[in-house]
Amino acid sequence: MIFATVPFPSFTLESLPQLPKLLVEWLLTLVGAPDWLVIIGGTAAMAGTVVGVFLSAFALLSLVERKTLARIQNRLGPNRAGWFGILQPVADGIKMLTKEDIVPTKAEWLLHLAAPILIVVPSILALGVMPLGREWVPVNMELGLLFFFSVGALTELSVFMAGWASGSKFPMLGAMRAISQMVSYELPLIISALGVIMVTGSLRLSDIVAHQEGFNFGIIPNWNLFTPWGFAAGLIFYIASIAEANRCPFDLPEGESEIVAGHMTEYSGFKYALFFMGEYLGLFAIAGLGVTLFLGGWQAPLPFLGWVPTWIWFFAKLAVIIMSYLWIRGTFPRVRIDQLMRFAWLCLIPMALLTIPAAALWVFTGKGIVSWVVTVPLLMIPWVILTILFNRRLAPATRTYTFADS
Amino acid sequence: MIPLLILSPLILLAALGAVWKARPVHAALLLALSLALVAVLYLTIGADFIGLVQFMVYVGAVAILIVFSLLITRPSDEAEEIQRRPRSMVTGLICTLPVLAVLLIALVKGDPLTLPAADAPPLSIARLGELLFTTHAPAVLAVGVLLTAVMIGAALFARDIEKPKSNQPEK
Amino acid sequence: MNPLALLLTLSSLLFALGLLAVLTRRNAILILVGIELMLNAANINFIAFWRYGPPDPELTGPMFVLFSIAIAAAEAAVGLAIILMVFRHTRSTDLNKLDSLHG
Repeated sequence: MIFATVPFPSFTLESLPQLPKLLVEWLLTLVGAPDWLVIIGGTAAMAGTVVGVFLSAFALLSLVERKTLARIQNRLGPNRAGWFGILQPVADGIKMLTKEDIVPTKAEWLLHLAAPILIVVPSILALGVMPLGREWVPVNMELGLLFFFSVGALTELSVFMAGWASGSKFPMLGAMRAISQMVSYELPLIISALGVIMVTGSLRLSDIVAHQEGFNFGIIPNWNLFTPWGFAAGLIFYIASIAEANRCPFDLPEGESEIVAGHMTEYSGFKYALFFMGEYLGLFAIAGLGVTLFLGGWQAPLPFLGWVPTWIWFFAKLAVIIMSYLWIRGTFPRVRIDQLMRFAWLCLIPMALLTIPAAALWVFTGKGIVSWVVTVPLLMIPWVILTILFNRRLAPATRTYTFADS
Repeated sequence: MIPLLILSPLILLAALGAVWKARPVHAALLLALSLALVAVLYLTIGADFIGLVQFMVYVGAVAILIVFSLLITRPSDEAEEIQRRPRSMVTGLICTLPVLAVLLIALVKGDPLTLPAADAPPLSIARLGELLFTTHAPAVLAVGVLLTAVMIGAALFARDIEKPKSNQPEK
Repeated sequence: MNPLALLLTLSSLLFALGLLAVLTRRNAILILVGIELMLNAANINFIAFWRYGPPDPELTGPMFVLFSIAIAAAEAAVGLAIILMVFRHTRSTDLNKLDSLHG
């Protein structure tokens, strides 16, 4: 072994998440490995770090969600497994791993096996392009945002495979509903991101975050959410992301009182755990994208808080968004399928389309007070008209019930 | 070159499955697989944008459309298998093999095969965007109008069935 | 065999497979599968010539492919809508049964 004099990598609190990668690369160069092996080792360490962080966040979220929902519903939540239920994710993991893996006779076993794997893979891929900190972007792709939406498309096909390969009616119906919902809400999601891309001029996610630095009037951060078109687009992105992740109030495809478990009905044991994990990792991915596009990514909210490591800001903002998802889940009832479709196609898509000229006008009129005066009516007047129309003419017909004895 | 050599047989195998398999859903899913592999091919060549767009549009939209329609138009009995009559396969091969022969002969005899491979011209998004909205702007607008017309037409097709066809007296 | 020849061979074979699907399948939707394969073969051709041909500052290959992908998606949507309407009318997607103009 040749011990070359490679200095120990220096790291600060800011680049602490890079430590596994730096350590692996240092060890490999110390041992004298060829360059390509160092690169592969470093990349694997980076991927391992990201996956490890988000999997532990997933475990934590499953517990936090149950406790939060329980408190909203005036009960306690899991508190048996360890102090305040902190070992509940471990108990859940053991349970999932030791359950019998049942594959129905009429199911196609290959697709039945491939579907949960193909649902987890896009979520993890999408997490790889997220700028998690100033120096912590796992893969800094030039087309990061487009990559994110492309792998989201793979999720829809996997949901179909899960539903069809199960060979029974509930999964089939659940898969059809899930796909129509995901396809319908993917449009407002992408269109609301278009305004951000236009204003930033780049598809690279770290550029989008860097574009949102600085503070107006010394105290208000320059995030995209604090502009009129950004507020509208951010709100639309938020609602569409709840629908994309199949969360309540848009969890028709997996609501137990509606369709048993939708496309996941015939899955048990570890495959169900993979579905669960894919759904939550997808939630992290899309919430992380919302944070990156509209909330300034890893930027600090106040100028004097710049000493805090940037990845802490990213995860703090992510935590705020996810807690708001949990809050909404505990508060709102489930929407019907026709209400869902109507809302997507007749309300979200026109409003999302309006954010694009609003963003263009914002840039052309110089991002000052004139821009506010021009863009706010452009967004508010159609919104008011849509609201009035929804309450009067576009509302779904009231159901008339005829009873047996009339 | 090596990624191309690995991907090309896989693409052809998936496409062969899409053409040959009797169960329609299997054929549609194999089509999705072959389109995804073509997207990977574009990514290895260096056309990043085209590869990602291919993935998003073909695998994420067209493949889903196809499987959805297969679900809606499923026959009520379990005999979904397509009985491939030997006569139609022979006719198909008789029509296809000359086309393939013409293409391959043009390939072998053509001069462009001796062109030196240019070192990877990177596909710059800025250049693509600039070209799309200056030189090809009329084409972009035309495609926009086309897609809007397609959307409206498809929505109208789907609505048509809701017109009540019976003349029962209203209670 | 240089990469260009490989890609052109791939695209020719893919085109032939798509043509075979169009000619031999009975289900109307699987014919659409064949059409998508043919369109993809042509796209591979364009990208291959852009990448391994003479340098083109006008980016003709990717331009063509972008429009081709958009039009293919539009055509798939319209084709499937027509097939669904016909299915509603005749309860079958078998093209051999659609041989009379009388509905």
